[in-house]
Amino acid sequence: MSATGFTGIVVIVLFVGLMVFFSFINKDRKTYNIRPIPAYKKIIEEINVSVEDGSQLHISLGRGGITGPESAAGLAGLGILKQVIEKSSVCDHPPVASTGNPVISILAQDTIKGSSKAISVTDNIKNPSGELIGVTPFSYAAGALSTIRNDNVSANIHTGYFGNEITWITTAGERQSSPTIAGTSQLTAQAVIYASASDPLIGEELFAGGAYLGAGKMHQASISAQDVVRWIIIFIILASVFLNIFGIDVFIENILAGSM
Amino acid sequence: MKINLKSPVSTAVAIGVGIIVLAGYFIPSFINIRFILLRAGLVLAAVALLVGIINLITVHVKKLGADSENSGYSLILVIALLATLIIGIIDMVQTYLVGKPNFQMTSWIFTNIQLPIETSLLAVTAVSLTYAAASILRKRMDLFSIIFFLVVLLVLLGSFSIPPATLPFLHVIREWILRVPALGGARGLLLGIALGTITTGIRVLMGTDRPYGE
Repeated sequence: MSATGFTGIVVIVLFVGLMVFFSFINKDRKTYNIRPIPAYKKIIEEINVSVEDGSQLHISLGRGGITGPESAAGLAGLGILKQVIEKSSVCDHPPVASTGNPVISILAQDTIKGSSKAISVTDNIKNPSGELIGVTPFSYAAGALSTIRNDNVSANIHTGYFGNEITWITTAGERQSSPTIAGTSQLTAQAVIYASASDPLIGEELFAGGAYLGAGKMHQASISAQDVVRWIIIFIILASVFLNIFGIDVFIENILAGSM
Repeated sequence: MKINLKSPVSTAVAIGVGIIVLAGYFIPSFINIRFILLRAGLVLAAVALLVGIINLITVHVKKLGADSENSGYSLILVIALLATLIIGIIDMVQTYLVGKPNFQMTSWIFTNIQLPIETSLLAVTAVSLTYAAASILRKRMDLFSIIFFLVVLLVLLGSFSIPPATLPFLHVIREWILRVPALGGARGLLLGIALGTITTGIRVLMGTDRPYGE
């Protein structure tokens, strides 16, 4: 096994251990202190608004698949979709989901069916769809516009893998004067989202949806695990900087090379 | 008593395949199994594309019947999809009959219809991005939005090559912004995304996240 492979296994074992540890020690806690993220607060507000005025939420899951590095964003989007469906079960019009990837489309339909069944919303008319609206970036963005312009859609939640084409989608939401909550794992698209969405999800905030929307203890534990590993990384970076400033890194390299 | 076997079986398959594929990245003896599973996944993704296209046609055919202002777009989509499909089938038959690749008509569609449309949309994206950057202060007048706006302005000014915007200090500021704070911020965001990606994957492997129904 290579050094990279060994490091990878250590990181995964560390994460699993931390997640199990935090879920175990917090299993009896009723509340969990996590920093407020305005975008998730807005999602809950918009669910309540849609229940009150009989409007609909639009959730777009991006165009990432499940076999590439963009898959995590798609899975995070599906998790948010599940929570929104469960929380908006009493809505007159259930949320509408759209995707730009066929695999995510099937998973979205399965998530919708599963969540609807779990909350006993078995009426086919009430079951929302998981439409595939385009398979290239711009066809997806263009296809999403017609859903966003639907007068009955009160808010748009874009969580998944998007590129710069998201500016079309977010700008269309703004023109409709409907709140736009958006998050992606692509770096340049995050800058676009920050500028164009009313409630952006920046960096790892996209992956924290479950913890903020009440998906369970393991989601909250994973936030704590991320924080611990983040502090470890910060410590390693700072230690490397100090070692470099004082020339200790060269000293250690020489010791390891046996040239002292 | 009705026993639902779908949920535990699908969960077991997802977790098992996920663990084997993950192990393939770290343990050399698992590499071959990983490739077999990934190839199977790609085939399934291609089948999913077919299912997705059928779903797309179904949705838009339903919209044609409905009294919707967008039914015209749905009609164009259905006609374009069917026309491209028929042309693709004709090209495939010709390839089979001639015995060598012959996708002239399909290539013509991509070169003369899809490519110009997507290029035009890309050009419009530049306008849309500029509009978004300009309207940020209207949306959120806070410290970070002001910093964002000023940085965009400085980087744009530093990129100009037309006098009188070619002041040397603007180039220096632009280079410093791109090399130091922008790069540092990008690395920080990437680290956060990587941590989020790992925990999302682990939750799927542990079966606490099941994006494949209940």
